[in-house]
Amino acid sequence: MRWLLCVLALLAGLAQADARQPRIAVIDWGLTETLLGLGVTPIAVAQTEGYRRWVQAPELPASVIDLGLRVEPNLELLSQLKPDMILITPQFAASRPQLERIAPVHMLAIYTPEAEAYAGAQRVTRELAELLGREAQGEAMIARIDATMARVKQRLATRALPPFYVLTFLDERHVRLFGKQSIYQGVLDRVGLRNAWNGPTNYWGFSQQGIERLAEEPGAALLYLEPMPPGTADGLAASALWQQLPAVREQRLYGLPPVWSFNGLMAAERFANLLEARLAPEIAP
Amino acid sequence: MTDLLAQGPLPTRARFSLSRHPGWLCGLLLLLSFGLALSDLGRRLPLGEWLAAMTSPAEGDMAQLILHFSWLPRLCMALLCGAVLALAGSLMQQVLRNPLASPTTLGVSSGAQLGLLIATLWAPWALDYGREWVALAGGGLASLLVFALAWRRALAPLTLILAGLVVTLYLSALNVTLMLVQQQDLNAVFIWGSGSLSQNSWSGVQFLLPRLAIGLLLLLPLLRPLALLELDDSGVKSLGVPLRFLRIISLTLSVYLAACVVSVVGVIGFIGLAAPALVRLLGARSFAQRLIWAPLLGGLLLCVTDLGIQRLAGNLAELVPTGAATALLGAPLLLWLLPRLHLAGGQPQSNDEHSFARHPFPARRLLPLLLALAVGIVLALGLGRGLEGWSWNLGDTALLDWRWPRVMAAAAAGCMLALAGCMIQRLTGNPMSSPEVLGISAGAALGLIALLFLLPYSGPLAQLALGGLGAGLTLLLLLGLSRRSGFAPEKVLLIGISITALFDALQVILLAGGDPRGQNLLSWMSGSTYFVGPQMALWVLVCSLVLLAAALPFGRWLELLPLGEGTPRALGVPLGRGRLVLLLLAALLTAGATLIVGPLSFIGLLAPHLARLLGLARAVPQLLGAALLGALVMVAADWLGRTLLFPAQLPAGLLASLLGGAYFMLCLYRR
Repeated sequence: MRWLLCVLALLAGLAQADARQPRIAVIDWGLTETLLGLGVTPIAVAQTEGYRRWVQAPELPASVIDLGLRVEPNLELLSQLKPDMILITPQFAASRPQLERIAPVHMLAIYTPEAEAYAGAQRVTRELAELLGREAQGEAMIARIDATMARVKQRLATRALPPFYVLTFLDERHVRLFGKQSIYQGVLDRVGLRNAWNGPTNYWGFSQQGIERLAEEPGAALLYLEPMPPGTADGLAASALWQQLPAVREQRLYGLPPVWSFNGLMAAERFANLLEARLAPEIAP
Repeated sequence: MTDLLAQGPLPTRARFSLSRHPGWLCGLLLLLSFGLALSDLGRRLPLGEWLAAMTSPAEGDMAQLILHFSWLPRLCMALLCGAVLALAGSLMQQVLRNPLASPTTLGVSSGAQLGLLIATLWAPWALDYGREWVALAGGGLASLLVFALAWRRALAPLTLILAGLVVTLYLSALNVTLMLVQQQDLNAVFIWGSGSLSQNSWSGVQFLLPRLAIGLLLLLPLLRPLALLELDDSGVKSLGVPLRFLRIISLTLSVYLAACVVSVVGVIGFIGLAAPALVRLLGARSFAQRLIWAPLLGGLLLCVTDLGIQRLAGNLAELVPTGAATALLGAPLLLWLLPRLHLAGGQPQSNDEHSFARHPFPARRLLPLLLALAVGIVLALGLGRGLEGWSWNLGDTALLDWRWPRVMAAAAAGCMLALAGCMIQRLTGNPMSSPEVLGISAGAALGLIALLFLLPYSGPLAQLALGGLGAGLTLLLLLGLSRRSGFAPEKVLLIGISITALFDALQVILLAGGDPRGQNLLSWMSGSTYFVGPQMALWVLVCSLVLLAAALPFGRWLELLPLGEGTPRALGVPLGRGRLVLLLLAALLTAGATLIVGPLSFIGLLAPHLARLLGLARAVPQLLGAALLGALVMVAADWLGRTLLFPAQLPAGLLASLLGGAYFMLCLYRR
């Protein structure tokens, strides 16, 4: 009798939870990613095709409706969808007055000048979880990703690793170097690696530099995120300076599959796992 | 005040005086670049290692390697590119007898950029053969298009510049559209578009040098006939010079030279216009003098800019692309020197006046236009795409609430820009001018950019205020600088181009820095009605109607002003004050429209021409016709923007450029 009541209560709870599942429209990819990490699928996201190409994981279900460009999400479409809430970041705040005519708008900022991006991503995860009444899932997600960091740190601690430049290629002469305020900095700090670039960075934690800057710390290794823009590989092969860079000459060059550099905790987790797989391959699970 | 305004061009000093000689500026820049280069070298390496690093750097010594493979090629590249662009600019200006000609004005740069964008998105394999070939093809095709458009007018200078301007605007609109939709893929093109000289081998210099040598060799036999172009068309022809042939050959040559540079280092736009203009200002009167001094000045100017950036910006050096910074330095320099520039004022030099058939009964043209506008507005309000595809929903008030402000704002902005364009074209007696071209729109945009970065996320009222302030200040600058010349058309245009170059430079720096706020900027600049609410829509609508009513009484002045100095004065038009009032009105119109649809639109240039093509030749019918046409084109563009790539929305300003530009090119070609 008692367990029957328990089951009934549980079922009722489940049904209620499902009925309460709010209809959410998201304008930003970082928030989309966090939302999916919390186990909630939004009904509509801006630039879904871009998300699938650049963010990749966690996967966006095919049922999610495309809202158009992130700078100008389609208002007529959005009002037809009648969402319960709309999530935006300060980057797309320009459309806030318009969006507020459709549904309550919540603005969440992973990247702020005050705190590092990793802490910002944790805060946004909590805020989002609270907003959706999924505090338990939120804490679990944060704890899981912290644990991933600790595990990767332990794995990497066994090997003597140099400091790393974390970068993406823009062409054969320019790179984006990620440093302070970037999500990668947060990961490097937590897995016990040192970032070789400690120069100034912008709002999103990167600095655009010529490749000669990669020689400033001769002992460092290069960690670049794919994809490389077309023609860049050939250009680098022909570049005398590139060939003479200590890291290239001594073959301390590591490529990683794409990670979207402007996202939150899920991107951090993906980056940490990729790091582990690349830097400590034989002992990775 | 009024007397001052009414003065004609100042008498020019005929003698070649030592105090005004391009050598002074060149010498100064040379000293400056030497100083900068030496102090930079000193910071990098001890004196003893300089020679070794330059000739044969030690393996493994990074400081020496960087000097050899990055610093030195970059220095050479700056000198080389600056010189070649200035040379190409001088050539074009001589051939077209027009101080406004430059590689950028003839579409080379924007064509090359479009080529790269297209290749990056849809044919990445082409980039594996080398970016420079793609850029060369794009730039070449764009200038071919320009020449084709002007072909039937025997490549007459004014038509050619007009065609260049239209093609440049058109291609820029296409570029911005692509960047808006596919921003993440195009970062490399942003960098290239802002002209970064950074090098990491000698391959760039090795690519350029032989190509330039060939170009220069081909140029030599042309020098003598080119010098004769100081005379007018008939004079040159009577001396037995095949004019069209000469123009084609030397223009092709200069496009080739410019495209080579552009393909390697990207868009360094301003040098080709500014260097020849500067040496002319500094007293180089003959073609031979300009041919020597302009490349020297161009090379040194670029070199100093580049060294200065590397020195001053430190860690931020890569964020301030040299091409853009050159405009930041060169534009104020040109603005400062402009009041001293001697140009033939009043009428264009060649007998290139466009003639249009005048319709005897303007009302028979205006009424159908009014009807078309009404039908257009109803269609734009009713027809749209949604979750279930296409639908007609004029009865759906929820949807109408979203649509009517956008449609009204588009119509009002189009009408205002068209009016401003009409007035400015008549004022300057120049069919190439428009608010976009005169930099008034750019001024408003500069104010808005300042706001975006100083006080992000501020409301529309602050935007209105700062945009208006920017437009007003630009107008003041325009008035102040052109007062002494009595608003000589070429000079006003040069001022406008300088201001626009300043704006472009800032915009390019913001975009190349990769600041994601740039994306917002991009969407506003391309002229979106997205952010217009009902209040704003009503406000601009009233604004446009009031200003239209205010403009009509000035019909007689607008009729007489294009006739030059003598006729209007004889008929009792207060020349100086009349121009001042009209310019102010035009600026107000521009500011109002820019706030809604951004600085990029085409309407101000396009609508007045279309009205004249329809036979609306007199001032008042032309104003009315242009206003209707401007509104119609904008409404159509806004509707297309909302439905074409649904759910993505393209800005109305961009689509207006694409729609109107295509039609305009067709007209230009047919004539």
